[in-house]
Amino acid sequence: MQRVLAYLAAIVTGAAIGLGSALWLAGLLPGTNNVAFGNVDVDGWRSDFAIGSEAADPYTRARVAHHGLLALAKSEAVYFTRNTDDDGRSLSSACTYRLSGGAMPAGWWSVTLYDQASMLPANTDNALSIDAGRAGSGAWEAIIAAAAPADTKHWISSRNAGAFDLTLRLYMPDPALLSEPEAALVPPRIERLSCGEHG
Amino acid sequence: MKRWLGPLGVLIFVAAAAHVAALHLAPGVIMARALDMLAARGVALHRFTTPERVTPQTQSVVRSSPDLYYALCRYDLSNPGTQVSVRMGSWPDYQSLSFFDARTDNFATIRGSGRAVAVRLLPPGSAAEEGAIVSPTAKGVILIRRLAPDAERFAAATTAGKVDRCRLEWRDRIAAPAGAA
Repeated sequence: MQRVLAYLAAIVTGAAIGLGSALWLAGLLPGTNNVAFGNVDVDGWRSDFAIGSEAADPYTRARVAHHGLLALAKSEAVYFTRNTDDDGRSLSSACTYRLSGGAMPAGWWSVTLYDQASMLPANTDNALSIDAGRAGSGAWEAIIAAAAPADTKHWISSRNAGAFDLTLRLYMPDPALLSEPEAALVPPRIERLSCGEHG
Repeated sequence: MKRWLGPLGVLIFVAAAAHVAALHLAPGVIMARALDMLAARGVALHRFTTPERVTPQTQSVVRSSPDLYYALCRYDLSNPGTQVSVRMGSWPDYQSLSFFDARTDNFATIRGSGRAVAVRLLPPGSAAEEGAIVSPTAKGVILIRRLAPDAERFAAATTAGKVDRCRLEWRDRIAAPAGAA
């Protein structure tokens, strides 16, 4: 009887360890927001160019299915995500940031703010992103804050986001971006300006 | 000590098997749940939705872009004698027609900036045909994206989307099978 119980305990414990470790490594456990993953890292912006393709490893496939369902394969679009500022601190709606950059190696690009559930934050500010059309062709900058700044052209609202991340979409990527992303892409900078009750 | 070697071996084997099985099954399970959720939110089978602009209040899929128009069509090619006829109307800016199978793979994308696109989607195992794409799985989702970063462009994209089509057909006939939308 004791022997049977030992085997039963081994089966239950093994199943729990196997399932739990798979969900943890794939970023699928409740409360985890492991979106900054992948085999490409350009100045802290992470991407996995196998997204959307059969070549994606099982961990990437599971993460993408959860955090980026219906994402396109790299020939059409690539996605970079970042959840820290330039000094490595987690992004938070309690702080104000300057997001700045220039031209991108793609036909169209955008930067969008998402909360920890990978959803747009629950606000009605109609200020959720900046894209190539609004930014123009040269250098650009936007302020990320919970309230609209008085003197800025582009605002991305972090109101009600809590801890958040940014997704950089690059549609119709240049071939150089796919072959040598570290050389071809100068990603946006994220500079923390202040922190406090109102950022 | 020896008597624990058997249970320990079983524990390691079961843990490894559960780990691999969970990773293998996760995309399919998540996609199946997503398809159910899309159906519950009004995304029709074999018909493109008339989408609302993506906002925090209307979003239904994780990491949707507020700068894009998304029209979705769920498909079911479980009957091997059927096909889905797909048409994407013309749009002067960026647009694409993309296909996702039941394991979340983006198995085909056609860019159609400035032109209309028509293509047929065939059941798994079908022979390749000109003007057709073979789906790796019986069920999946077809997605039209149009660049529409403001309300005015979104309204124009909605007008352009009136000629989009996603229709189940018999492969040797034009009429839709009974019950198909």
